[in-house]
Amino acid sequence: MNTWDTDVLVIGGGSTGAGVAWDSALRGLHVTLVDRQDFATGTSGRFHGLLHSGGRYAVRDPGSARECASENRILRQVAADCIEDTGGLFVSTPEDDLEYADRFLAAAQAAGMEIEEVPVGVAVRDEPRLNPKIRRAFRVQDGSIDSWKMISALLRGAQDHGATVLPYHKVVQVIRRGDRVEGAVMEDQRSGEEVLVHAGCVVNAAGAWSGQVAGLAGCEVGVRPGKGVMVAINHRLARAVLNRCHLPSDGDIIVPVRTVSVIGTTDHPVADPDDTECSPAEVHQMIEAGELLVPGFKESRALRVWSGSRPLLPKTETSAGAGDREVSRSHTVLDHGARDGVEGLVTIAGGKFTTLRLMAEDTVDVVVRKLGREAECRTRTEVLPGSESHHFYWIGNRQQEAETDPPDDPLICECELVSQHDLDTVVARRPNWRLDDIRRALRVGMGPCQGGFCAFRVAGMLHQGGRYGRAEANSALREFVQERWKGVKVISWGAQARQTRLDRWIFEGVYDLEHLPE
Amino acid sequence: MGTDAVVLGAGTAGMVAALRLAAAGASVLVLAEGEGGLPLAPAQIDVLGYRPQLVLDPLGEIPGFLDSRPDHPYRLVEAAEVEAGLDWFLELAAPLGYTGNPHQNRLQPTAVGALRPTCLVPETMAAGDLSGGGSVLVVGLKGFRDFHAPLLAENLALARPPSGAEVRARSVEVSLLGDPRDLRPQLLVRRLEERPVLAELGREIRSRLEQEDLVGVPAVLGLERSHEVWQRLQELVGRPVFEIPTPPPSQPGQRLQQHLFRALRRLGGEVRLGARASGYRASGDRLVAVKVVTAAREVEIPADRFVLATGGIGTGGITAGPEGELREEVFGARVSRGGAPEEPLAEYMATQPLDRLGVEVDDEQRPVGGAGGALFENLWVAGAALAGAEPWREKSGEGISLATGYRAARLAGGGRA
Amino acid sequence: MTAVVWGAEAWAEVRSSLDRCIKCTVCETACPVAAVTELFPGPKTVGPQAERFRTGDHSPDLSVDYCSGCGICSRVCPQEVRIAELNSRARAELKRERGAPLRDQLVARPGLLGRAGRPVAPLFNWAMANPVIRWAGERTLGIHHKAPVPRSTTRTFSYWVGHHAGAKSARRVVYFHGCSTQWYEPHIGQKVTAILEHNGYQVVIPKQDCCGLPLQSNGLFPAARGAVTRLARQLVPGGTDDLPVISSSTSCGLMLKREAREILGADSPELRSVSQRTYDIFEFLLELHHRGELRTDFKPVPLTVAYHAPCQQQNQLIGKPALGILRLIPGLRLVELDRSCCGIAGTYGVKREKYEIAMRVGEPLFADIQAEGPDLVACDSETCRWQISAATGATSVHPLEILHRAYGGS
Ligand SMILES: Cc1cc2nc3c(=O)[nH]c(=O)nc-3n(C[C@H](O)[C@H](O)[C@H](O)COP(=O)(O)OP(=O)(O)OC[C@H]3O[C@@H](n4cnc5c(N)ncnc54)[C@H](O)[C@@H]3O)c2cc1C
Ligand SMILES: Cc1cc2nc3c(=O)[nH]c(=O)nc-3n(C[C@H](O)[C@H](O)[C@H](O)COP(=O)(O)OP(=O)(O)OC[C@H]3O[C@@H](n4cnc5c(N)ncnc54)[C@H](O)[C@@H]3O)c2cc1C
Ligand code: SF4
Ligand code: SF4
Ligand code: SF4
Repeated sequence: MNTWDTDVLVIGGGSTGAGVAWDSALRGLHVTLVDRQDFATGTSGRFHGLLHSGGRYAVRDPGSARECASENRILRQVAADCIEDTGGLFVSTPEDDLEYADRFLAAAQAAGMEIEEVPVGVAVRDEPRLNPKIRRAFRVQDGSIDSWKMISALLRGAQDHGATVLPYHKVVQVIRRGDRVEGAVMEDQRSGEEVLVHAGCVVNAAGAWSGQVAGLAGCEVGVRPGKGVMVAINHRLARAVLNRCHLPSDGDIIVPVRTVSVIGTTDHPVADPDDTECSPAEVHQMIEAGELLVPGFKESRALRVWSGSRPLLPKTETSAGAGDREVSRSHTVLDHGARDGVEGLVTIAGGKFTTLRLMAEDTVDVVVRKLGREAECRTRTEVLPGSESHHFYWIGNRQQEAETDPPDDPLICECELVSQHDLDTVVARRPNWRLDDIRRALRVGMGPCQGGFCAFRVAGMLHQGGRYGRAEANSALREFVQERWKGVKVISWGAQARQTRLDRWIFEGVYDLEHLPE
Repeated sequence: MGTDAVVLGAGTAGMVAALRLAAAGASVLVLAEGEGGLPLAPAQIDVLGYRPQLVLDPLGEIPGFLDSRPDHPYRLVEAAEVEAGLDWFLELAAPLGYTGNPHQNRLQPTAVGALRPTCLVPETMAAGDLSGGGSVLVVGLKGFRDFHAPLLAENLALARPPSGAEVRARSVEVSLLGDPRDLRPQLLVRRLEERPVLAELGREIRSRLEQEDLVGVPAVLGLERSHEVWQRLQELVGRPVFEIPTPPPSQPGQRLQQHLFRALRRLGGEVRLGARASGYRASGDRLVAVKVVTAAREVEIPADRFVLATGGIGTGGITAGPEGELREEVFGARVSRGGAPEEPLAEYMATQPLDRLGVEVDDEQRPVGGAGGALFENLWVAGAALAGAEPWREKSGEGISLATGYRAARLAGGGRA
Repeated sequence: MTAVVWGAEAWAEVRSSLDRCIKCTVCETACPVAAVTELFPGPKTVGPQAERFRTGDHSPDLSVDYCSGCGICSRVCPQEVRIAELNSRARAELKRERGAPLRDQLVARPGLLGRAGRPVAPLFNWAMANPVIRWAGERTLGIHHKAPVPRSTTRTFSYWVGHHAGAKSARRVVYFHGCSTQWYEPHIGQKVTAILEHNGYQVVIPKQDCCGLPLQSNGLFPAARGAVTRLARQLVPGGTDDLPVISSSTSCGLMLKREAREILGADSPELRSVSQRTYDIFEFLLELHHRGELRTDFKPVPLTVAYHAPCQQQNQLIGKPALGILRLIPGLRLVELDRSCCGIAGTYGVKREKYEIAMRVGEPLFADIQAEGPDLVACDSETCRWQISAATGATSVHPLEILHRAYGGS
């Protein structure tokens, strides 16, 4: 068995784990990070995409609001390349209590948010699709954050500081000697081979799965996965994030994420975080809710539906001390030494994507203490790779690049402007990527046609380039089609139903995929 | 002084109906929101390919197929009329060299290398029937993103036609036009009409030929001059050459569409594109006019007879709403699910809820009205607008359009009103 | 019933049509520009696809400038995506952001070009015919030296109107003649008037300015909006707010019918009213004919005429009404030219960087004309006529000139 030693073994390659890896590496620790799948495929790749201003929490959870407001400011400094500065609006729709708006404004100011009330006429002029019947509007510092970019940048940064990162390595066993956790055994999900890593400290950052991982070490963590459903709409209905100004509920935020608008979300407790089914009822709930913010929302083209699971901890859990600073209530660092008498294991749970940096700081503060080291957190000021120029990305980036320096090789995905060169570049970096991983990295197949045209191109090109064998290319194509169907089957109406019909003609009519040899 | 027949839809079904009506002496106006499936489709005329087992004699097996699928549109057309329609089409499309036998399917390679049953094909594809096996050199063009010769050839080499004959396939890739890294189909197809470019392609292929007795190329051999391009390439290569359909856009489909449009124009008919039918005016159970949106206003277009060939859900003839509401857009005709399930299935390759959607018609292809009679006595439905088929799986698309379009015209009657 | 919306809603409707795009590529196969140049990636790409990347603050793309605006894509799209309209708007944004070059501003103001030329028309025409001076024109103005440029006249159409004693009648129409009739081809306006009067109409010809279309196609939106609303006011002279408005210029007619609303987002009570009542001259005559009211006292016209329906007329979605009328004329051998575009697309083809493209777009049409060798080419659009004549040497006329002749005119 392949074996090595590391200071910190991080389990989970979502935003939290990646943040912990970056923070630890910057503090001079040797880090190994593993994920059972590709990175950013857990909740972090299935979230809403909102860089919170804090507004959502201002009234009900001022602590979280304050954290979001300050983390938002920090991320804009250190991770500009992963953020689109869309700005955000909180608006009182005809169904919202106007008195709440006053409380909201006061609470937002108290939480240190940058907030400004704007006349309704101005808001409606800036956002022509916004419900003209809104009665108040507040401008806040919401943004849109690209999970793939953010997590890649964190991991790249960690690797630049010596970290080892292993996708498709599932923790199957936690090595425990007596009351001490000493490492873990991972199974390579593709080759089936096992790897053993000895670690000074193991960080369980498995999000909604952290209960399962803690269980491997014989500890109990009562994470309750809370499933949330989101629907992507084909194009941007608004430039800014649109929030309903009321006590947070379902389907009250529309986030412009890249070329689409995403509405979300819901919160249903589920037993298994891998349960990602989206019911038609949930989808309709979202679509209906959108009408309040953007009249005609229902007629807009729904592109895809997905869900993610929140890693929620019961209120009774309290964080391990993080020095003399106030203990955060939105995430929890569990020191299993103090809590369960099992040394060498720390669980970080709860939180948000927006607060990943703070979560990592709090976690690694505990880790260094346990390792008996002394190192200051540097993530507040250290700029992530790719963000050196401090330019936010904007929706037109890809289009502009493609236009000013037209790629002279074929575009594979026309919707998301991915060229063969882009494909070659990513597969050169990660030779054994699956088609679905490539999709996430490049956004291939995420456009309106949902892979109708590009799936074949990618499979054909990878086969031609020798990356895929014949059978692999065939099954990649089939899997791609199947995986896309998962996200559209409950929204087969309007234009998407027509798209599905065209895709059927292409896959089954023109190619006859059904009768292709295995 | 007005129009005898108005046909809604300019896809295969609408054009077939229009051509038949015009040939019978009617003045015909085709109104269409846009072009239909043709410019995207391989232009291979499928009649029936799977039921679900492979069909070898499409005309012969339709009755058996209908036993298991009594709601299928083929129930509307007698075998003899399907055959008459196909014969008529062969004659009409003779300038494109269409060939085939309604009693014998051909097995032609697809872009990924499956062997696919189809019935009539243009001359440029004729040599691609591998029912009896064969040895094929598959030629890819560097920089053309919609054709991947190696994958195609490797899959094709595994294909087993029922005859048991062997299919051998090898692929090569040639560079054309220097080293252009992106060959866009619209430009490529026209460039290949230039003699020096074609000669270069011929030379390249010839120098790479080994023992193969057939050459398969992506279906981009010219648009208006495809006959000349194809024939010349065969001469240059010294082997039969056949086109393999690409994903959309389809050049063979565009050729056929242009041919149908021109044929109608020659018969004095008109195709008006961009004209969406938005409603109608009726008098009792007779349809008097359809309403059409022009740039400035909605106008009425009166006619004596009408054919609805708006193509079903793919082209918006029928729409589905978020609450599952289904609507035939022009007349509000009754829509049927054709026996498909109400809820989506997890497996993509299955019959899904909207797959068999279409207008419910009586035996005379007229939309069913309130009391079960015909909605209008002078409105007939044809093509993909009819309920009950899953043409992409059955391989029956153009066949249904042809047969039902042909019959709709007969039912509507030729001559002037 | 399909409701027509105005103002901001009209554009919102056009923009959200991008949602209906299923990437089918039908438009790509029909676009005449994408078929002849690598510089233009095609309607799907620059239309519904690129629109998803546009925020309205800053244009991320440039190649949409190569779209000629011919509108074919919008007509062939089975999903009713308003591709050409999306493109028009995007081009305008581009120009607004980067400033329209002098060339655009000049070609965009036919009145200006006409006026500058008029007092010394013979000299101006000579200058435009003189290759050396045309070369200089290309350098300084960006107008291609071979591009068809109109010859201006010494007598404008309004001058003629001022001296024309029209017949009085209870049946009246308003005539919207457009700039080219005013400045370059006054005889067209005279013939329109004669034909309508022959059919018993009194022709009301108010003083009128440019519809703003050239400004629009060059991205100068506010100016264009101002022009079209002013024109709409001019077209409802006292007590005429229910008369048909007849246009003999296909592109200007389309401006009133639809573009002002959908692309410019212009809106005024007069514009709404005029827009609803605007007819292409042949659309109007064919309706008369369908009602049995058209006079058919035609003299034989023993000529072979090849007819080309220009894009902007096709975009009115009224079919080819000129064919319906010309077919009635005895002795006339009518050949329907079956090509989509001549390339000029308004002022597109006269620009230096687009001239070559436009000529290649028109090639199949020109070849058909040359093969046919007709006595005359008929086409409803003035710029297309100029292009066709320049490219083929054929004499081109407005189809109403043939009708005028059939009615006994000279
Ligand atoms: C519907 C929804 C919407 C949200 N929207 C927002 C938002 O807009 N803004 C915001 O800031 N926050 C949002 N959040 C919260 C935020 O997304 C999550 O808090 C955050 O992404 C959690 O990241 P994580 O790294 O803890 O978990 P995850 O991203 O789930 O990462 C855990 C990883 O652990 C891996 N793993 C599990 N088991 C094993 C094992 N045995 N071995 C190895 N690896 C394993 C998983 O594969 C997974 O990749 C949202 C949450 C939900 C549910
Ligand atoms: C990608 C693809 C591949 C295909 N491959 C094959 C194949 O290999 N073999 C085969 O046999 N068949 C194939 N087909 C099917 C075939 O091309 C036709 O789609 C089918 O025959 C249906 O034709 P249709 O005329 O009924 O409808 P369509 O071709 O869909 O035409 C419908 C027409 O109605 C118009 N319309 C819709 N609504 C309105 C309205 N309100 N007012 C006016 N007009 C309206 C549309 O604009 C269009 O012109 C394929 C289709 C596609 C899309
Ligand atoms: S296949 Fe797609 S991803 Fe690709 S061009 Fe289409 S939506 Fe895009
Ligand atoms: S024709 Fe219409 S639906 Fe098809 S690609 Fe073009 S814009 Fe999209
Ligand atoms: S308007 Fe004409 S030139 Fe422009 S994209 Fe459409 S078809 Fe092409």
